[in-house]
Amino acid sequence: MKIRLRMILKKLYGLLQTIFKVSSIQSVITLSFTAVTVLSLIFVSLTLYGTFSDNAEKNAAASTQQIMDQVNLNLNSYLKGMMEISDLIRSNLNEKTFKNRDNLINLLQVTSQIRKDIVAMAVYSDTGTLLFSSPSGSYNSNFHAAEQGWFKSTIQRPVDYIFVSPHVQRLYMNNRPWVVSLCRSVTFYENNKPVTWITMVDMNFSKIEQLCSQVSLGKRGYLYIVDQAGNIIYHPQQQIVYAGLKSENITEALSRDPGSYFDDFQGERRIMSVEKINFTNWKMVGISYVDELVPNKRNLSNFVIYILFFGIAFEILASMFISSKISQPIKRLEKQMKRVENGDFDINLEVYGEDEVKRLSKAFNLMVARIRQLMNQIISEQEAKRKSEFKALQAQINPHFLYNTLDSIVWMNENRNYEGVTTMVSALAKLFRVSISKGSEIINVSDEIGHAASYLTIQKIRYKDKFDFHIETQPEALGQKTLKLLLQPIIENAIYHGINQLQEKGEIEIAVAVEEGNIVYRVTDNGYGIKPDLLSTILDQEPTSTHGGGVGLKNVNERIKLCYGSEYGLEIISELDEGTSVFIRIPLNDSGSGGRYENIK
Amino acid sequence: MRTLNRVLALILITCLLLPVSGCTGSKLSTQDKKVIIKVIVKKKDASFWTVVRMGAEAAGKEFNVSVDFDGPTDEKDIDGQIRMVEGAITEKVDALVLAASDYTRLVGVAEQAVREDIPVIIIDSDIDSDKMYSFIGTDNVDAGKLLAESMLGKVGENCNISVMSFIKGAASSDQREEGLFEVISKNTSVKVLSTEYCNSSEDVAEQLTENLIQKYPELNAIVCTNAYGTVGTARAVEKLGKAGKIKVIGFDSTPDEISFMERDVVQSLIVQNPFNMGYLGIKYALDAHQGKSLPKRENTGSKAIDKNNMYEPENEKLLFPFTN
Repeated sequence: MKIRLRMILKKLYGLLQTIFKVSSIQSVITLSFTAVTVLSLIFVSLTLYGTFSDNAEKNAAASTQQIMDQVNLNLNSYLKGMMEISDLIRSNLNEKTFKNRDNLINLLQVTSQIRKDIVAMAVYSDTGTLLFSSPSGSYNSNFHAAEQGWFKSTIQRPVDYIFVSPHVQRLYMNNRPWVVSLCRSVTFYENNKPVTWITMVDMNFSKIEQLCSQVSLGKRGYLYIVDQAGNIIYHPQQQIVYAGLKSENITEALSRDPGSYFDDFQGERRIMSVEKINFTNWKMVGISYVDELVPNKRNLSNFVIYILFFGIAFEILASMFISSKISQPIKRLEKQMKRVENGDFDINLEVYGEDEVKRLSKAFNLMVARIRQLMNQIISEQEAKRKSEFKALQAQINPHFLYNTLDSIVWMNENRNYEGVTTMVSALAKLFRVSISKGSEIINVSDEIGHAASYLTIQKIRYKDKFDFHIETQPEALGQKTLKLLLQPIIENAIYHGINQLQEKGEIEIAVAVEEGNIVYRVTDNGYGIKPDLLSTILDQEPTSTHGGGVGLKNVNERIKLCYGSEYGLEIISELDEGTSVFIRIPLNDSGSGGRYENIK
Repeated sequence: MRTLNRVLALILITCLLLPVSGCTGSKLSTQDKKVIIKVIVKKKDASFWTVVRMGAEAAGKEFNVSVDFDGPTDEKDIDGQIRMVEGAITEKVDALVLAASDYTRLVGVAEQAVREDIPVIIIDSDIDSDKMYSFIGTDNVDAGKLLAESMLGKVGENCNISVMSFIKGAASSDQREEGLFEVISKNTSVKVLSTEYCNSSEDVAEQLTENLIQKYPELNAIVCTNAYGTVGTARAVEKLGKAGKIKVIGFDSTPDEISFMERDVVQSLIVQNPFNMGYLGIKYALDAHQGKSLPKRENTGSKAIDKNNMYEPENEKLLFPFTN
């Protein structure tokens, strides 16, 4: 049972989840709001209903009791009146005896004429002989009072007023009314002998009915009177009860002390109020129906239901409003972020709304701006790199250089210097092979050195041995990878600006070594040197193209920094009339990837 | 989110509409016309039917139904009763409670009423039709047996009796005789001298009884199967000074019969329950009008009462229906 319940709950939960897609903030807020409010509303309603309906029931019981008190009071005075009539007969018997029977008969007759509720009055002797009666009529000779139960019990209880339960009066010949009798035995002395007579007053139900039916206990509620033995004295549906077509919860009523009780009888909840009736052994029982006597209760339950439904309706509206209020800016943010996701970085969120959303918008704006800045930086860097590479390449196929070289070759050929031609051509070939190097940017250090050597060889021939050069290589450096065409612009610079104007023979020294995890090239000349003011700006200014498109130091420096990072690059040490040393520093083992930009692309 | 909104909107509408619809629903049901139920009995002012009327009116008061009580002044006025049923059909009463004066002659008009959607409940005296909604009355065979047993109790098994029945061929008369003879035939020492039919007339019964008493001096008891027979028989027995010597076992509980019983002329009465017939007649007619299902037959029972127990509270209530 428990397991099945749990399974059902689980299924229900799953169903709810699929229906509501509980992941969105709005639905989470709406649902939890709704759940909490509905539960608390129901709780409050039930408590209210319970308290109020309890009160209502108590009030109903109290008012029933009050009504019954009133009826009881009236009934008491009625019964008391009957007892007074009985006493009147008795006192007359005491003073005037048999001799004054006419007086007594007169008294009885007058009384019975005044009182329509008194059916008959009679006096019997202790043997059951009828002595007086009123009204007079033809008596039923078959009726023997002494055989009746009430006669016997009246004799046995000399002083008590005996109220006899409803029975058929048989005093007269043809009339058989239902009556309640009040009997009492009277003892007096006649000629010093005790004589016991029985007085009897028969009353009909008109007055009792009038007293009991004039009050209303709700629409269907009623009063009934029952005696100790369970005989119904009065009931609004006495005929039907007597015919056995209806029953009352008499045993329950008799077992109760005076007070109000809830009574579930024949499937209906009733309030049963019990009171004792003085002078008698009767009990008055008030029956009122809970469902109607407590009209407030039905109204109340309607009211509570109204409140519940309107509360839930209002709550749903409110929670929908609140949740949309909360989630709306977030949704707006989400929509705009989606544009970024799709590649649109040119947005700027409006910063408004709640504090949290404001902060989020601000941070997002900052982030997008930063990304935009970085992307622009990358784009410009890439562009610069391409430009510098293009320039480097341009330097290689510098037409001036090419046709000067070819002029030199032609000139050597005319002078039949074939050895020089061979050297020149093979050097030229080697130069181009390296500079093209199948389009790769990264080559071996040995190739870069070879390239520099070829270039120097050509230039040495062209400058007619105006300088000497020698190359110093550390064997472990040769196997390393390097950005290509780093040395050639430096050497070109050294020749044009350092050696060219020199009177004596120039000296160019190329060296490469591995130092502290870096590859360090050094190009040293013994030329003019660079003026200190020029030296400080030389890496920043565009090359002055006095030599037909010389690439210059700046380009090399930028290429290195683009490829390896800003901590690498050129370092120039120069002294006027002494010479210049240019150090090129690139990282070791940073070969294959070809530099950090590969990743960004 | 869209599903959620839709579901919430649905709940919202339900919440707003539900109490409203509850209101209008309850308002409609209060307007009801008072139901009219016609009761047609065999004889309007006979004491038996007066008690039936008391029951019917008690039920009418209890269920808030208008009870229209009617019947011919003469029990043998069958045509009069047929006209009354026809009148009820033209009046378009909501239901009809009928005590048929004749077993066969009322069938046509009663079935016509049923065809015209007027539920018919038969009380006391049945008719030869299975179209009726319900029959409420005394099981007459049982009542006949009770007559026989009561007679045996009063006069013993060695006896000569006569039977004072009322109409040969009438259903209740025949059924009571059937029950009576069923018990008597088991006691071979009981000798039935004759069976008379008084034609529901006290005078005829009185005359027949006088003849019987003269014809059969050995007569011990006369068993009467209805109230007229009982009163007539008792009158003759008392007149001829045979009270107590020839026992009279009677049927029903009219004031006359009770008086005879108190005077020891009638030794025992088989009492029916006319109050309950009237009450249940109205109750069932109302149920039928409201479309509830009913028992096809309801036995209201019968009981033997004699002078010794007639004023016991239980019997007192049966013999003298309560009035205030």
